[in-house]
Amino acid sequence: MAAVEITEETKQQVERIGSADVVVGIAGTVSPEELRARAGHIMQELGSGVSSLRFVFAWPAPEPAAEAAPAAEDSTFAMLPFSPPALSAAEFWAGVSANQRAVLNLAASLNARVCIVLGPDLAALDAHSIQLFAYAILERQCGLAIPVYPVAKYDGLINSGILSPLSRALYGRRVRNPLAFDFAASGALCAPLARVSPSAETAGNALLWPVTIAATQFPQVPVGQVHIGVQHKVATEGLELSAVLGQLTGSIFQEMDACASHWQRIRGSQATPTWGNGSENQPDGQAIDAQPLLDSFLLGSKSLDEVWRLLLPPNTLLELKRLTRATPDQFRIPDDVWASIVYDFALAYRLRTISRVHLLGALTPLYLGWVASWVREVSNLNSAAAEQRFEQFARAWEEKKPYLLSRWRWPDRFNP
Amino acid sequence: MIELIINHSSDQHPWFQRARHAPAGSNERNFYVWSDTDQKYKDARIIFTDTEKSNWTWDPVAQAYYWHRFFSHQPDLNYDNPEVLEEVLRIMRFWLDMGVDALRIDAIPYLVERDGTSCENLPETHAVIKAMRAAIDEGYAGRMVLAEANQWPTDVRPYFGDGDECHMAFHFPLMPRIYMALRQEDRLPITDIMAQTPAIPDNCQWGLFLRNHDELTLEMVSDDERDYMYLAYSADPRMRINIGIRRRLAPLLDNNRRRIELLNSILFSFPGTPILYYGDEIGMGDNIYLGDRNGVRTPMQWSPDRNAGFSRANPAKLYSPVIMDPVWGYEAINVEAQQNDASSLLNWMRNMIALRKLFQVFGRGTLRFLETSNRKILAYIRQYQDETVLCVANLSRFAQPVQLDLAGLEGMTPVEMLGYVEFPAITKAPYSLTLGPYGFLWLEIQPAIAAAEAAAGSDGEEAFYVENEQGWQSILSGEGIRRLEGLLPAYLQRQRWFGSKSKNIVRVKIADSVLFDEHQSALIWVGVDYVEGDSDSWLLCLAMSFGESAGALRELTPNQILATVGSAARTGVLHEGLQRSAPGALLEILAGGQELRTRGGTLIGLPSSVLGSLRGSQPLTARVGSAEQSNTSAIFGDRLIMKLFRRQQPGENPDVEIGRFLTETTNFSNIPPFGGSIEVRRADEELATVALLQGLVQNEGDGWQWTLEELDRYYESTASVKSPAVSANASEGDEVHPEAREHAAIYLDAAAMLGRRTAEMHRALASGRDAAFAPCNPGPGDLETLRDRLAGHAAHAFDLLKTNLSRLPEDIVESAGLALSRRGVLLTKFRTLPGLKNPGQWTRIHGDYHLGQVLRSKGDFAILDFEGEPARPLAERRAKHSPLKDVAGMLRSFSYAAFVALTQYTTRRPEDFAQLESWARLWEVSVSGEFLRSYRESIADSPIVPADRADFDQLLQIYMLDKALYELVYELNSRPAWIRIPLHGILSLPL
Repeated sequence: MAAVEITEETKQQVERIGSADVVVGIAGTVSPEELRARAGHIMQELGSGVSSLRFVFAWPAPEPAAEAAPAAEDSTFAMLPFSPPALSAAEFWAGVSANQRAVLNLAASLNARVCIVLGPDLAALDAHSIQLFAYAILERQCGLAIPVYPVAKYDGLINSGILSPLSRALYGRRVRNPLAFDFAASGALCAPLARVSPSAETAGNALLWPVTIAATQFPQVPVGQVHIGVQHKVATEGLELSAVLGQLTGSIFQEMDACASHWQRIRGSQATPTWGNGSENQPDGQAIDAQPLLDSFLLGSKSLDEVWRLLLPPNTLLELKRLTRATPDQFRIPDDVWASIVYDFALAYRLRTISRVHLLGALTPLYLGWVASWVREVSNLNSAAAEQRFEQFARAWEEKKPYLLSRWRWPDRFNP
Repeated sequence: MIELIINHSSDQHPWFQRARHAPAGSNERNFYVWSDTDQKYKDARIIFTDTEKSNWTWDPVAQAYYWHRFFSHQPDLNYDNPEVLEEVLRIMRFWLDMGVDALRIDAIPYLVERDGTSCENLPETHAVIKAMRAAIDEGYAGRMVLAEANQWPTDVRPYFGDGDECHMAFHFPLMPRIYMALRQEDRLPITDIMAQTPAIPDNCQWGLFLRNHDELTLEMVSDDERDYMYLAYSADPRMRINIGIRRRLAPLLDNNRRRIELLNSILFSFPGTPILYYGDEIGMGDNIYLGDRNGVRTPMQWSPDRNAGFSRANPAKLYSPVIMDPVWGYEAINVEAQQNDASSLLNWMRNMIALRKLFQVFGRGTLRFLETSNRKILAYIRQYQDETVLCVANLSRFAQPVQLDLAGLEGMTPVEMLGYVEFPAITKAPYSLTLGPYGFLWLEIQPAIAAAEAAAGSDGEEAFYVENEQGWQSILSGEGIRRLEGLLPAYLQRQRWFGSKSKNIVRVKIADSVLFDEHQSALIWVGVDYVEGDSDSWLLCLAMSFGESAGALRELTPNQILATVGSAARTGVLHEGLQRSAPGALLEILAGGQELRTRGGTLIGLPSSVLGSLRGSQPLTARVGSAEQSNTSAIFGDRLIMKLFRRQQPGENPDVEIGRFLTETTNFSNIPPFGGSIEVRRADEELATVALLQGLVQNEGDGWQWTLEELDRYYESTASVKSPAVSANASEGDEVHPEAREHAAIYLDAAAMLGRRTAEMHRALASGRDAAFAPCNPGPGDLETLRDRLAGHAAHAFDLLKTNLSRLPEDIVESAGLALSRRGVLLTKFRTLPGLKNPGQWTRIHGDYHLGQVLRSKGDFAILDFEGEPARPLAERRAKHSPLKDVAGMLRSFSYAAFVALTQYTTRRPEDFAQLESWARLWEVSVSGEFLRSYRESIADSPIVPADRADFDQLLQIYMLDKALYELVYELNSRPAWIRIPLHGILSLPL
């Protein structure tokens, strides 16, 4: 497994800094001035227990030499620019993951005790988040600390609808955001997390799934969650849902194939200790009109029917057929059906039943159908109740896992 | 991986041609083994017996014999010539430099020859192999050597060396025995050869195979076994060659798919690396009409196209002809067709291989055969780290049953690995399975799902992040509350004071809370819902401790830790609050008459008028009482005791109410003085008592402990004395048995004193004139209500006993059954209640009166705890009853004491049990008699007890039965080992 390479200039800066207790790294380009100012502010805000640690703030700078910043005058922290990995703008998450790996790699080079990786919008760059992440790693001896965001019930539906329940069912960790903008890792996990999985076929699906790596390579290392009260604003303009869905699901399916011997032996799931205080009054978010989603599903059911027949068993196809006849009010994809659909797509991805690009494309209308079903169901729930509904939804994935295992182990088409 | 042939070369090899022309004794000549005679190495066997008559062949050019262990056109290299090894190493490096991962070393046992030996497995041969391995390790990482050594397992073992020769070696003797076991439908050949297989170094591995490019070798079997194999698997003599059978897998098994699958399942699940011979994955056939072993080396059948897709050459020019017959021909059996057939053997093999690769246990695990009476079944357990797989194979052509002894795996769940089908859990009973003809099962042994989750979560103690060490916000608000509620069911079950352990908790909900003690502690009221029965409410006192004190709590009282808490600076624990500063803070709230706002009401301290004198002026150190009770007590120095009421019910607690009444209204002084109380008041709710403060009575221990000590002395003095004759119907009317007087005089006097104090207490309680305390005369309706209530309690107790019958210790089951058989008769006793002519008056009573509720104090007794039976509703506990209820309670307590002390005493001296049992009975009868006699005398002129002796006795028995049944329920829920005591009480009552 290859690690992200550190350029010569960055290496020199690392050598100059020597070592650090905490590396806070930004997984995207930011303004160095703003970062430096906020870093200084955070160091002032941090309690005495944390601020005594040696901090390094790292960020990707297109021209590291020009951006290189010396340690702050009071020497309580240092600034470390690094060269960002080259990736096309279309591969958004791959870019984030590459930068996350670069930060982790730097943290490993600096023998850091904690590496806190934060999203490029700097939403989580505050003393509270830093303190919580550091607490989870240093005080609670977690190998990994994943954030819980105060998302509205209609936000992050790819995560809620596929990534989170799938990751939980596979790896047995009840983690709400397996693919997070922000997370923290212990020093021991920095180097393993920085490596690119050899199973990644392209840079596009070489995403960093920290929970997967922790669960499969370090099953005894605790994983924790922290409530950080921040919301990330992701620019969706120019991004096509199908491409994003394909990238994310393709990557998680890829990991799934590579880690089959691990997740097949995991039964049930374990609660993940969570620290910090989740907001009681999370925003409900803007209402979503489900009709266009339903239309997309129905259109997909007509044009992709033959493809779905190659991928899905007759019972699921029958259920989909029933859904095409349902009125908008009746339209609801049962949790177990949706879980089995995703499981069947994962299996088809592994078996290369059809071209993987086409396969992931064929998932999009189904996903939109699920979104339509979900938003209708949670429309009358507040965010807390929607979160409880998600818990029930995620349990359905766990309960359906034996179906995945039986199909994975004996992928006979002659099944119900 | 390539094959490296280092034992011999072709006779056309330049080395050999050079050697035969070189002068005798020259280095070139000595690349091979030459002799002037063919009589050297006569002890070496001939391997290719069909074609070779000798291991020596005369070379007319060299005018000498040359040595060959195989064909005469394969002369053996001479490893006594150091240049040969150098050349072989050079060739080996050439291939390794080309990037090959592994070398299969052909004919490895025969490298060196020595006279007087079999010329096989010689130490000099091992020296050559070690040199090759050292060269690999020196220059090449991650490469491997596989030895072809057709030898017995014990002879192959040295080829692994100490992990410094070959990484792998074929297991030759296993292969024919698998076929033999299948044909004989008997596992013995397999288990026998595996028993002879020695352990190998950790960095080594066996190579397992069903067939290969050579004949099915029968060198490593006995003569009889060889004959059997010939008869079983080579009906046509052309199928035989050398010492073996030249056939492929599918033809050997008569092309039976189930047999092919069965043998492959064994191959894939045995310890070693399975090696498939090309073509066997699609069930290719062979051609026995070809010479040598060429019949099993025909072109791979890729497709139904020309030459089976193997070659585009003119079919007539093929070196080896493809198989073309209708059954085995390439048009019927080929890869292309099987790829398109989901049910093909090829797809089956792929699935099996993919499945095997998911589990390291198959390659690395240990092997343990299970003994079964049915030898047609081969069952074995593979185990590696936390992976355990049970494999069961039916070697028979018919379905077979089997019972497996899976001791040590009880509670685990077998999960069939191909379809992930969960099988019934393993119990202590033999595990029964039935397998179809040639069926096999791979069962992954998994912990039950709950256990798996528990194990997975065992190191994940819940933790709260707090802003600072008084930061309750993240615990008692928002998400924190939900998480805390999630932790409480398990925490409550660990607390002694939680009296609903036998109920299944559905939910715990935090109803109210208040911070006190400078925010170091919190009182938290929780509502608990159960699967069955009514919800109830409990009071928790929690605190946070950090640093060293947290470590001490973890060590000393782990059960009282609810969760981990941590701030950025320190880690601590959330725990039972009374262990730290909370008691002192509660005392201040009470003494100061403080009012604190809770989330839903007000917490109020209510000091009594005598608190000042009780407390004194000196600071008092607080400690938590160690006695296990339904509540929790904090003791302040030697002056005060505060009781925190755990079960919260609306209404003033009777302990507070009665304590205040007796202290401030009557002259009865045999109680601890009342110091005050803390209560919580909420809008639209009745107040509830949180804590009671009393003066501490100097004492020599509680009545229970003092009684047990007295009984210990009693048993000590009577153990060697002949058992007394005790009348089953003895009562207090009889004279005290002289032997009881002799051995228990002090206690008999104490019992009389206690009887008197009990009567005085009842008189005092009946002295009140307000509604709460004024005695009343029960009417027929009251007695009927009482009857119904007691009968209801009794029915519940019997039902609970019946439900738990199977869980009781075996020596108790008989008594329990007997008690259940008397259910009808005993319930009839309650029906007589309304028929009492004079039931006496009903007054406020103690309500939970037993020896643990009195203190032995300076030759007298002080009576404590007027709370009533905590498990019963407050309204019921505050209700007025016949004082005989208390009397019954104390009599039952004497019975408890007698038998608990007897159990304790005979634990040390079990041989005395039978002897002392009647002494115990005598003690109980005598003490009860003295207590009752004294009680009667002291209460004689009071209207609160029945004046009529018969009514008195009848009512007393009813209350004793009720009490014994109450005890039964309590013990079933809390201490099943003590059930024998209430059962004895129930069965001792006159029918």
